[in-house]
Amino acid sequence: MKTRDTNLGAAVGFLAPNILGFVIFTAGPLVFSLAVSFSNWNLQRTIPFQWNLLDNYIELMHDKQFWLFFVNTVYLMLGMPIAIAGSLFLAVLLNQRLRGMVVYRTLFYLPSFTSGVALMILWKALYNPDFGPINALLDWCLQAFRINDILQALGCEALSPPQWLLSTRNLLGLDVESVGFAAGQRGVGAREALIIMGVWIAIGGNNMLLYLAALTNVPQELVEAAQIDGAGRWKVFRHVTWPQLAPTTFFIVVMSFIGSLQGGFDQARVMTNGGPAGTTTTLAYYIYTKGFEEFQIGYASAIAWILFALIFVITLINWKFGQKELSY
Amino acid sequence: MKWVFVGAFLVLVALSCVAWSIQPEAAAPGRIPLLWVSDDNPARREQIDLFVQLNPRFDLRLDPNNQGMEKVIVQSIAAVGPDLFDCYDGYQLSAYVKSGIAWDVTDQLKAAGIDYEKDVWAAGFPNFVLDGRVYGFPTNVSANAIWYNKDIFDAAGIPYPKGPWSWDDFLTVAQKLTVRDGRRVRQFGLLCDWWNWRQFVMQWGGRIYSEDGTRCVIDTPEAIAGIQFLHDLMFVYRVMPTPAEEAAMSTAGGWGSGTITYFAGGKSAMAIGGRWWLCTLRNVQQERRKEGRQLRLGAVEGPHHPPYRVFRGYARATLVNKHSPHREAAVEFLKYEAGQGYNDLINRQADALAPMKRYCYTPEYLRNPEFPEEDYNAVWRDVMDYAGPDQISPFINGQAASRIMEKQLDLVKNDQKPVPDAMRTAAREVNEEIQKTLQRDPSLRARYAELTQGRKQ
Repeated sequence: MKTRDTNLGAAVGFLAPNILGFVIFTAGPLVFSLAVSFSNWNLQRTIPFQWNLLDNYIELMHDKQFWLFFVNTVYLMLGMPIAIAGSLFLAVLLNQRLRGMVVYRTLFYLPSFTSGVALMILWKALYNPDFGPINALLDWCLQAFRINDILQALGCEALSPPQWLLSTRNLLGLDVESVGFAAGQRGVGAREALIIMGVWIAIGGNNMLLYLAALTNVPQELVEAAQIDGAGRWKVFRHVTWPQLAPTTFFIVVMSFIGSLQGGFDQARVMTNGGPAGTTTTLAYYIYTKGFEEFQIGYASAIAWILFALIFVITLINWKFGQKELSY
Repeated sequence: MKWVFVGAFLVLVALSCVAWSIQPEAAAPGRIPLLWVSDDNPARREQIDLFVQLNPRFDLRLDPNNQGMEKVIVQSIAAVGPDLFDCYDGYQLSAYVKSGIAWDVTDQLKAAGIDYEKDVWAAGFPNFVLDGRVYGFPTNVSANAIWYNKDIFDAAGIPYPKGPWSWDDFLTVAQKLTVRDGRRVRQFGLLCDWWNWRQFVMQWGGRIYSEDGTRCVIDTPEAIAGIQFLHDLMFVYRVMPTPAEEAAMSTAGGWGSGTITYFAGGKSAMAIGGRWWLCTLRNVQQERRKEGRQLRLGAVEGPHHPPYRVFRGYARATLVNKHSPHREAAVEFLKYEAGQGYNDLINRQADALAPMKRYCYTPEYLRNPEFPEEDYNAVWRDVMDYAGPDQISPFINGQAASRIMEKQLDLVKNDQKPVPDAMRTAAREVNEEIQKTLQRDPSLRARYAELTQGRKQ
């Protein structure tokens, strides 16, 4: 009994700094922001503080910008499945027993430990419509393969390289000024540029490491048994490896949803300033804008809690349907 | 294992003590520490050195890492703000005052014999004067004029431009100097950063807000015509780069440095800019000299749309943090900014123009012996008489107004929306935002009602 008490004291002693830090810097501000979301708190002192109950949330539902930026946030998540599939593919490739594999693994993980801002500045230069290497390559392809001649012969419109970060166009043809579609908006623009960059960064990142770790845990006897039964590489992967990776995939999907819904701030801040015409402004960036540029802390807190609710619901849905997939 | 953790904990405590003991002093012993949030560059450091030299009881340090209005406000409210900070426009001043950060120094400056209305360039007023109260002092001021590349003019056999001149005169010259190489433009007639769109509104007789600031009037025919002309410079006359072409410059980074670099690189015959460009252009000239080449520059008053001979004027002001424990001492820095030593230094450095008018009318200003080829200093001073500051409305947050307007201007800039439609949307949305602001802020409601009452009657 005495030993248990001594251990408890030591445990509490060691945990205390962490718990204290959590309460002061995480739980406290969390509760505070929830309370503030029911107020009109503004950093400008000419606006007297008042509790306004659900006013912020009601205003939010009628805020056209909020819905536009919500659409942007969801649109930018379109790269998520590609990034996850890419990570898995890469992990499978890097799970081979080849000489120099450590070097390959390090190379692919490089974007994850390089400064995000540096990467974004690099991509900004790559996306330059006139002088960037991406458009130079696309231009070369159009000319070398006479693509526009062929298209014109077929009576189609000629293609030109996208304007990337300068363009409001998008693959779904989403309108810029209202939630809906506009025919003139179809194409490739800033949102696709951010998606491509995001996929590039994510493919070789933590997801790949998680898959690599999971692949090493796939029981070899199952693989060998399948091979003895005559299964080829694809069938072994489809019926043995993939089901074994389900818990990892579930974890990655849940974390990717959370990360994507919270994301977009760095890109907007460094690369686009949320533009052109607000097309790369996500909810995270909108929170910052409202809170720290327009000083409406109460309203920004309400957006943050709506975002939290959204993430919570999506995670619950993932959990409910994902659990079924785990029961192999 | 327990002892390993205890050991680690003790090591961390010991290291913390070491770090605490060797941390740099907040100020040199016996001197009053002052922290100034501003951008870091050689000119700024020289300005600090001169202040410390003239006022040895202060230890003024630069903090370039906490720039940005939102950072200054949040840090100051949390009592960890700087003593001095920069203010770049009237909106920022309004936000600093409303947040209770900017300290009213009207009486201190008056007691020091500084009469800003008489001595300071009017274009700088919005940055430090609000509702008749003074909250700081300008660090420098500027107004737009035209930089031109003499070599390009000489090569084309075109005489150097002379002001005053109209946009029609300008277009004739700019079109001759725009050189195309197939689909691409090899040399532009003009470079102009998009943040100068306000100048075009002013030059066509338009306004962004009504006189009393209660309404956004950017949808008037005059304002629309100004923005339309700016649009046409890119898409109709093709003498100015489109956003796609402009993007090549923006990758280089802030404060128009991309545009300056592009101009210095001979990619354009003319550019709309300020005297502060010289800080960069002098470096380019020095590099060229080392390579045995040269960059010969000229400056002329910008073209205008008769009868509106007005150019965008702007400034940077230093404000004092109301919550600073050294706020009285910080006022000494403002007095220094009004003194001859500082003003002469600004003019010598070409960090725009000295804030005090009288120091821009000296032979030293007109002719800097270090740079004898700079024979255009009178131009930058004379355009100050025609400088109009950016218009603001007290009834809307500057960032909210910018967000709305920039969105519509982005669509115009990318040729995706007709100018009249974009300006109408911008005006409508800004006016809606004004109404929302009034609902939030009772002090503004009373003022707004007072201003609009007469109109209703």
